[in-house]
Amino acid sequence: MKPAPFEYLRPASVDEACEALASDPDARVLAGGQTLVPMLAMRLSRPSILVDITRLADLQGITETAEGIEIAAATRQAVALKSDLIARQVPLLAAALPNVGHPPTRARGTVGGSIAHGDPSAEIALAATILNARIVYIEDGEEVEFEPEDFFIGPTVTMAPMGGLMTRVIFPKKPAGRVGAGFHEIASRRSDYAFASAGAQVVLDDDGACVQALLGIGSVGDVPVAVDVSDLAGTRLTDDDLKGAIEAALADLDCVDDLHATATYRARAAKRLAFQALATARENAA
Amino acid sequence: MNADTKPRFLSTDRRVREDKRFVAGSGRFVQDLDRPGMLHVALVAAQHPAAKIVKIDASEALAMEGVHYVIDGAELSAAVNPLMNGLDTPNVRRFPLAVGQNRYAGEWIAAVVADTRALAEDAAERVKVEVERLGFLTDAEKALDPESTPVHPEHGSNLLLDRTFDWGPVEDDFARSDETLKLRVTWGRNSTVPIETFGVICEWNPWDEVLDVWASIQMPKYADQIARALKLPGNAVRVHYDVDVGGSYGVKRGIKQTVLAGYLCRKLGRPVRLIEDRLENMRSGDAHGPERIFDIEVAFDRDGTVNAMKMRALDNAGAYAGRAPFQLGKPIGAIVGPYRINSVQYRAMSVTTNKAVQEAVRGFGQSPTNYAIETMMDRVAAHLGMDRLEFRQKNLIRSEEFPYLIPSGSTYDSGDYHAVIDKVLATADYAELQAERDRLRAEGLCAGIGIAACLEPSGGNSAFEPLLNEKNRTSTWMEGCRVNVDALGEVTVAIHTTSSGQGHETLAATVVGEVLQMDPDRIRVVRPDSLSSLPGNSPVGSRMAIMLGGAAANAARELIRQAVAIGAHLSRADPAACRYEDGTVVTPDGTVTWDEIVDVAHRRFHDLPPGTNPGLTANFIQQVPTGTALPKDGKVQMYPCYSFEFHLVLLAFDPVLAKPEIRRYVIGHDCGTVINPHIVKGMTLGGIAHGLGAALLEEFAYDGEGQLMTQSFLDYLMPSSHEMPEVEIVKHETPSPLTEFGQKGSGESGYLGAPAAISGAIHDAVSQWGIHLNKLPIRMSAISDAIAAAEENA
Repeated sequence: MKPAPFEYLRPASVDEACEALASDPDARVLAGGQTLVPMLAMRLSRPSILVDITRLADLQGITETAEGIEIAAATRQAVALKSDLIARQVPLLAAALPNVGHPPTRARGTVGGSIAHGDPSAEIALAATILNARIVYIEDGEEVEFEPEDFFIGPTVTMAPMGGLMTRVIFPKKPAGRVGAGFHEIASRRSDYAFASAGAQVVLDDDGACVQALLGIGSVGDVPVAVDVSDLAGTRLTDDDLKGAIEAALADLDCVDDLHATATYRARAAKRLAFQALATARENAA
Repeated sequence: MNADTKPRFLSTDRRVREDKRFVAGSGRFVQDLDRPGMLHVALVAAQHPAAKIVKIDASEALAMEGVHYVIDGAELSAAVNPLMNGLDTPNVRRFPLAVGQNRYAGEWIAAVVADTRALAEDAAERVKVEVERLGFLTDAEKALDPESTPVHPEHGSNLLLDRTFDWGPVEDDFARSDETLKLRVTWGRNSTVPIETFGVICEWNPWDEVLDVWASIQMPKYADQIARALKLPGNAVRVHYDVDVGGSYGVKRGIKQTVLAGYLCRKLGRPVRLIEDRLENMRSGDAHGPERIFDIEVAFDRDGTVNAMKMRALDNAGAYAGRAPFQLGKPIGAIVGPYRINSVQYRAMSVTTNKAVQEAVRGFGQSPTNYAIETMMDRVAAHLGMDRLEFRQKNLIRSEEFPYLIPSGSTYDSGDYHAVIDKVLATADYAELQAERDRLRAEGLCAGIGIAACLEPSGGNSAFEPLLNEKNRTSTWMEGCRVNVDALGEVTVAIHTTSSGQGHETLAATVVGEVLQMDPDRIRVVRPDSLSSLPGNSPVGSRMAIMLGGAAANAARELIRQAVAIGAHLSRADPAACRYEDGTVVTPDGTVTWDEIVDVAHRRFHDLPPGTNPGLTANFIQQVPTGTALPKDGKVQMYPCYSFEFHLVLLAFDPVLAKPEIRRYVIGHDCGTVINPHIVKGMTLGGIAHGLGAALLEEFAYDGEGQLMTQSFLDYLMPSSHEMPEVEIVKHETPSPLTEFGQKGSGESGYLGAPAAISGAIHDAVSQWGIHLNKLPIRMSAISDAIAAAEENA
């Protein structure tokens, strides 16, 4: 479990990082390294150059702009978890973050790294998918943006441009009204790769009627998916309303089978978790 | 121990002396050792479960700078003897590297030696292995088919062992019983998975012609096996026991690794280190434990009396024999568990398949058997409509029946099973626990209570070896200890093994301190190398409290005898009229001080009793208390001491998500007199965590292509502190009449009953559907899918 030989580079600027990444098709970004380093050790990843971006100040930080809440790509997950801004403006992400790994992995792991890796059970990726966050890369000196639905195309396969560098992720600010979010997942061990996960956000009007409901499912298939529960708009989000919407939305959910959990289990668990996520969102909006 | 003397140090709340260095990160493990000029090994692993090795081309690897050597099985097997087999199966030959063909995916085909481990791995990738794929099998039942692809064609079949024992009037008991019931349960292939993988450094000293070995080892007769395999005299292998071992519970076997490194260091004239990485350890080290299918038929009366049991245990040994089949032998010593069962038929079967080799794991086959017996007890109770607890209490051996002879020839030394259970029920408030279960059920959860009663046979003489292999004549499994008093009067105890967390330094110091009435913290404990050691058998089979504890106590007693003789002689008194007390010898006329006795022993020959040699030192080699005879008629006294444990578990889960959460875990534990309570507690808690993994999470699972799917901690799921519940330990002490202080073994405690108890609790939780989940680990999705299927059919 020693990595194959590679060069290590710690660039002084984003430009220098981009230049290094563009110089060699086998160059890879090293961010928190919580997934990449074990893959290197097992020789499942064999980059020629590792470009360590974690000390680039431009890639750190969480800011509020007119567009939304921008999380610089190398911002640690632990920092995001403690962010008041995220707690106030992106409650679904705030609900997802405690489920990401463990405290030690969150201390190193980055928000952008989790998205770039494209693991179907990644909580941040699911939150980004549900909220339709924008994923921003620099490619050949130009910024390119991706919507999560286009970005995630298979298990750990993304549309990330070759030689590109993710700079930030822009989450939309929470809409007006009473907003609540919920995030639930299940694994055989706490904080393990989930067998199924669900995130939800609801917006209620002053009367408590649903204005908007968002739901997404992760971990069960190749990519995190946002599912359509727009029929909940206008309802009071009763348990029956939720169940009906979930049955319809998840009727054709694609689930994978593996040693640890069957596809039938994942499908059933997804519905249960979707209900929990929506119910939690409803409580939090009240 | 005298009944009226209260122990000073034994059973008291004293620190474990080893903990200090481990907590401070100052242990001395193989990884911490360096030898001048040391080279490093990486392995080339087989890709397919079975393939003929056509050609190995190492030229590219050897051309790399810093790469010293590449060895394959052909070279190694020509130079060394095959590794030891437990059974008489001479045609199941095993070498450290595959010879001619490999027999499981991941098996080591070649080894690369280089300046660093990283370089050795780089080079290992460049070793080209040309193979022709062969047929393979992974399923034990398929291996029983005489037409199945033989893993060892020379052996003729995949059957390693097929022995049927009939103990008592089995058929008569079946005929006279009101009812019978059949069941099948399967124990999945799991293991112990210590945090430290196996590691070894070998260094050949050409001037002394000695092979020095530093290893993270827990293996009986390790030095002997290395010498035999390397064709060296026994006194040419020097194993350094002063190496800390980062966990084992059986799996630190290390023979093939050491033979390989030992050969390489002589060949290359440089020290050689082989430390397995996690992949090597999990797919091709000594990592895998028993994998067993139990078919049971049980005969009982309607009043709840169990009369007889027929058990067939089919064990999947993996690709080679080794000691794995003996793990079918140990449970013979407790084949009826803690119950009065009049007769037993036991068929022990072991087969080869194209999986990694099974090695010894905590309990040596006892935990799977306990799981089978306890599942049987639950099923019979359910069949009869009896309460599981009352049914067990009815069949348990009663305290007045000890010593109790079981049908397979072992006599249980002592116990009070009913008392332990009563204490647990009182602690847990069983009625309230049941009420709590019912409240959880009313909330819509599945909730269940699991119970398991079982034994921990401990301190044996490896009697399963002669029982299962008539050519094996083993009847002792001794342990030695030396206690020496230096010229300044300080005491040093020598123990002759490595330890993998069992706290043997604390054990030896406590026991010697108790006997010498001396603060154990003053007593030094050392570990000489194997050439300076008394005979011993390493810490296996829950034996060291009994055997090392016995040896240390007896050596200390001999020291007292010597001191009393000196003191009596100085006072011109009859030794019989003198006694040892607090480091002095009390004579009819006064006392002789410790310093005086030491001075005489070390300097004043003229003051020694006539015919006495100078010095104050004692060796004692302890024989197994009951190890007197070889097996006869398929029966043998397997172990001297039998510890008892009783588990009571409440767990609950959502019927859809089906993640069992343990709400209450109470264990009653009786291992006789406890020498150090912290060590016993640690063993028990660790054992329960291990059992939780076996019950719910851990499995070395192979896919249809014969590939191991769980090669790292990504997929081999071990419980973490999050999954481990708070455990309440209820203590009870029924001393063993056979040991120095009444102590019994505890190294396997917790693990021996936890899988059965947790499985039982899950079954209680799904009892409304009549679901049986007959294979461990019981995965969440299996529970949920079974409930969904039952609901659909309802």
